[in-house]
Amino acid sequence: MDNVIDISNNALDFIKQRGGIVTIRLSPRHSCCGGLTNVAVAEARYPDAPQHYQRHMQDSISIYIAPDLAAQGLRIDVEGWWKLRRLYVDGAALSAG
Amino acid sequence: MTTQNTSSPTSADMGLFERYLSVWVAIAIVAGIALGQFAPAVPDTLSRFEYAQVSLPIAVLIWAMIFPMMAQIDFSAIAGVRRQPKGLTITTTVNWLIKPFTMFALAWLFFMVIFRPFIPEELASQYLAGAILLGAAPCTAMVFVWSYLTRGDAAYTLVQVALNDLIMLFAFAPLVVFLLGISNIQVPWDTVILSVVLYIVIPLAAGYFTRKILIAKRGAQWYDSVFMKRVGPITPIGLIITLVLLFAFQGEVILNNPLHIVLIAIPLIIQTFLIFFIAYGWAKAWRVPHNIAAPGAMIGASNFFELAVAAAIALFGLQSGAALATVVGVLVEVPLMLALVRIANKTRHHFPTEAH
Repeated sequence: MDNVIDISNNALDFIKQRGGIVTIRLSPRHSCCGGLTNVAVAEARYPDAPQHYQRHMQDSISIYIAPDLAAQGLRIDVEGWWKLRRLYVDGAALSAG
Repeated sequence: MTTQNTSSPTSADMGLFERYLSVWVAIAIVAGIALGQFAPAVPDTLSRFEYAQVSLPIAVLIWAMIFPMMAQIDFSAIAGVRRQPKGLTITTTVNWLIKPFTMFALAWLFFMVIFRPFIPEELASQYLAGAILLGAAPCTAMVFVWSYLTRGDAAYTLVQVALNDLIMLFAFAPLVVFLLGISNIQVPWDTVILSVVLYIVIPLAAGYFTRKILIAKRGAQWYDSVFMKRVGPITPIGLIITLVLLFAFQGEVILNNPLHIVLIAIPLIIQTFLIFFIAYGWAKAWRVPHNIAAPGAMIGASNFFELAVAAAIALFGLQSGAALATVVGVLVEVPLMLALVRIANKTRHHFPTEAH
């Protein structure tokens, strides 16, 4: 696969409407009993610490992606309606924190 | 598109605390009983801090247990409900239309009939009430660990947690009142409403608004990596302190009836396997992919035990058999769920592997 991540057309439009930047990162989820798992999430915004991400240009948008998630065959799509529209990362397994 | 790992994670990938949860709970039981027996002034003093029959130290500990979990629920994930309709149909039906009733039926059969010679009737009713509380709330946080260990689909796991938590907000109290009612265990509606408001609505609203406000102000990455990093570990600390206190009050019950812990565990263990196999078998019949089937079956098999413990304390008191029964749920949770993880991983080849 040439692309660092697969992005659907709907997600591309969504990202472009919000400035043309997307951050793909691991979001930690604390369990009730002390452990951590990480969920891949995508946000149409600039990352807090860009130095921790790989930067790519793809389909006229800037992609900031956590190195662990790049070129893994993941796909970004958009779901929901009106104010609830959001990006999601498809095909990612959970990982240990 | 497939998930990137080919080998299954093992229990060794879990955190030390969660992997040995049963051990910590057992230590908390011993420490609590010792506290109650050798320093009774501590629980006696704490029991004086009450307002409107709500123990304030316990309320604070319960909020400490529940708030961090509520603060990390991403309700916007609800937007994904249309993506895996089969998986969500199975998990929602099993969690809300089957699980509470099988738990009630099993607990009634064992506590009121089979174990009748071993458990006094009044205590048996209390254990039944505790089991009902455990059966009425599916897992919220540990399901991410079970999903990880079975290579579950992360996006689906997020959606099912958000959906079940939303349903729980409205369904928990009516289900509990209904099942307690047909068990002839009378609990005043106002007490139930108070406990739901105190231990579900307030932490959930506080978590929701904390998340919304802080993400708007500081961003989602700061929220995840700074705020939740500090707040997340409070849950297990709150859980263990609550258990120590609970057993400081429960000491006499345990010392007089040590066998009861084993008796309580039996229907809880059967229920865990039964609910897992109902959801998992249904998913197999519907040809649901394994990375949806496994987390879909795990969420119902596992319980939101913090909520069950909190509700049992609120409705029946710290010294109640109901509170003891909910703690036995905590005690057996991890070994049972790890057994189910092994079953799910060994039967992966019976399911379609693609989720997309």
